[in-house]
Amino acid sequence: MFSKVLVANRGEIAVRIIRALHELRIPAVAVYSDADRGALHVRMAEEAEHIGAAPASESYLRIDRLLAAAKKHGADAVHPGYGFLSENAEFAAACEAEGLIFIGPSSQSIRRLGSKTNARQLAKSAGVPVVPGTEDPASDPAQARETARGLGYPVLLKASAGGGGKGMRRVDREEDLEAAIRDASSEAERAFGSAEVYIEKLIADPRHIEIQLLGDRHGNLLHLGERECSLQRRHQKVVEECPSPLSSSRPELRSAMGEAAIAVARAAGYFNAGTAEFIVDRDGRFYFLEMNTRLQVEHGVTELVTGLDLVHLQLHIAAGGALPLSQREISWRGVAIECRICAEDPEAGFLPSGGRILQLDEPSGPGVRVDSGLYPGYDVPFEYDPMLSKLMVWAGDRATAIARCRRALGEYAIVGVKTNLAFLRQIMDDPEFARGALHTGFIPAFMERRPAAGSYPELEEMAAVVATAHVRAKNGNGKHAATPAVASRWLSSGRAEAMR
Amino acid sequence: MNWRVAVGDREIEVDLAKLPELKEVEPGVYSVLLNGRSLVFRVASVNGAVLVDVNGREYKVEARDPRAAGRHGRHTVGEGRQNICAPMPGKVIRLLVAEGDPVHTGQGLAVVEAMKMQNEVKAPREGRIVAVRAKAGDTVTAGAVLVTIE
Repeated sequence: MFSKVLVANRGEIAVRIIRALHELRIPAVAVYSDADRGALHVRMAEEAEHIGAAPASESYLRIDRLLAAAKKHGADAVHPGYGFLSENAEFAAACEAEGLIFIGPSSQSIRRLGSKTNARQLAKSAGVPVVPGTEDPASDPAQARETARGLGYPVLLKASAGGGGKGMRRVDREEDLEAAIRDASSEAERAFGSAEVYIEKLIADPRHIEIQLLGDRHGNLLHLGERECSLQRRHQKVVEECPSPLSSSRPELRSAMGEAAIAVARAAGYFNAGTAEFIVDRDGRFYFLEMNTRLQVEHGVTELVTGLDLVHLQLHIAAGGALPLSQREISWRGVAIECRICAEDPEAGFLPSGGRILQLDEPSGPGVRVDSGLYPGYDVPFEYDPMLSKLMVWAGDRATAIARCRRALGEYAIVGVKTNLAFLRQIMDDPEFARGALHTGFIPAFMERRPAAGSYPELEEMAAVVATAHVRAKNGNGKHAATPAVASRWLSSGRAEAMR
Repeated sequence: MNWRVAVGDREIEVDLAKLPELKEVEPGVYSVLLNGRSLVFRVASVNGAVLVDVNGREYKVEARDPRAAGRHGRHTVGEGRQNICAPMPGKVIRLLVAEGDPVHTGQGLAVVEAMKMQNEVKAPREGRIVAVRAKAGDTVTAGAVLVTIE
């Protein structure tokens, strides 16, 4: 196993990886930008290295500085997390060249799968169905028109190097095509440094289902079943679950999609953890979309249902170990749901909201897992993704999991930064969600039907009273100044205990 | 003596003689027992206002001692000069108006990017741009003035 691992990421995923390292008694090296000196991952790691200014392009995306940090601290492996450089073949190759183990697939596999068009071609050659479309870049307008006409509108433009909805455009009419290609290209250029976009047939209201893969360096591959990721807003996932509610009515899908995913991975010479994304149409036909060559944000729901620890397995595989179990030994028990808690205001068009976490209470209790980088007093930087933490719940069946998720969201209190907690709670109350009738258009439709933020005059009045008492107490003139009620005897005896 | 307290859009009078028993169970966390109901209020001060979180709802509250210098007048919307501010910290991607431009309600004024998301700042009313205070590429804090409308 490794003697020290550098975690080339930040936020909750850096924390999650450091936890796995500690469980395996491997010291962790954290890296941080100017914005993250006070971040939780820096505190949790044994060692830490500053890698530059707050913008990611000057820190978390700097291959040279990450390698220098790894060398300086004597790390023998690098875990890239998700986002940032996790799917960057150059970074993987640079690690390989420096004799560092990149905890992920080979740079060659990333290259083969990195561009969506390459991945499509690979899938086709492996006999895996893909969404009808073309892999050729849509650069020539006349040819693009012809392609789109052949597929039939609506079509979808996608960035070859893309992800997360950047460089993606739905086009309903031919007269909009050229402008849409221009917009999508420039967005793709800004986001990924490549302006290349291609055209696909748009599948109406599909489910977005993905398969978790694991492969070792000895050619063994297996799948850990599916995750339902249909609840998306602007192509960013919001709620994920394992298994997909669809698997109860179509139990054959899991192994069919699992085998398809393995076929693509095999064609790419893939090892370590990866995820094959598919869309599934209303008739249960599935189409391969792309391969994410890294650990996913939502890997935790698979962990809860399979009982496996994906980061432990990633480390084991990266160190040259063989998969410790076979496909037949994988089983799925119960239902797990994940909510992404984001610093954004659903009542103001999901405007990102930075600021200081003034108060924080994270949920716990039966079946609850929180992967978070938060603490009271934490300043949420505006330079990075607005995701603050992930709330995951597990229960024996889906109805109980939904109830548990709702309960845990109710326990979650974040004051100082606007979050989507109340919005997520509304989703857990939604009868359509309970029915499991999920598709990628779910959230836009939900936005139309969700109940308006209620008015609670009594609570407003009490809020006024409490705020008044609070301000008076702070100003030192209230006789109702709230008594510091965490009885000081507990504190003082605790302190005395600690002083000894 | 009564305090006049603004909760969101509402103004509520609080009778200091009738404050209920509040228990501050943690700093800024109040347990309130109200007719047998148990409620938790989380209170935090930000920029002179107080945020109160209860049952997952957040209220912005302005509670000021009436004996202290007069309440800050709420700025009126719709007349005079109005500063249009960045709604969140971020980077100005581009300005969509120039000094002297007439604008109508809802017209985009500037694009500010934060957390990888671009957001258009819109005109709250019609008027004319009398000053542009930011330029593309600027890093701004929440509340930084972008343009002034008259």
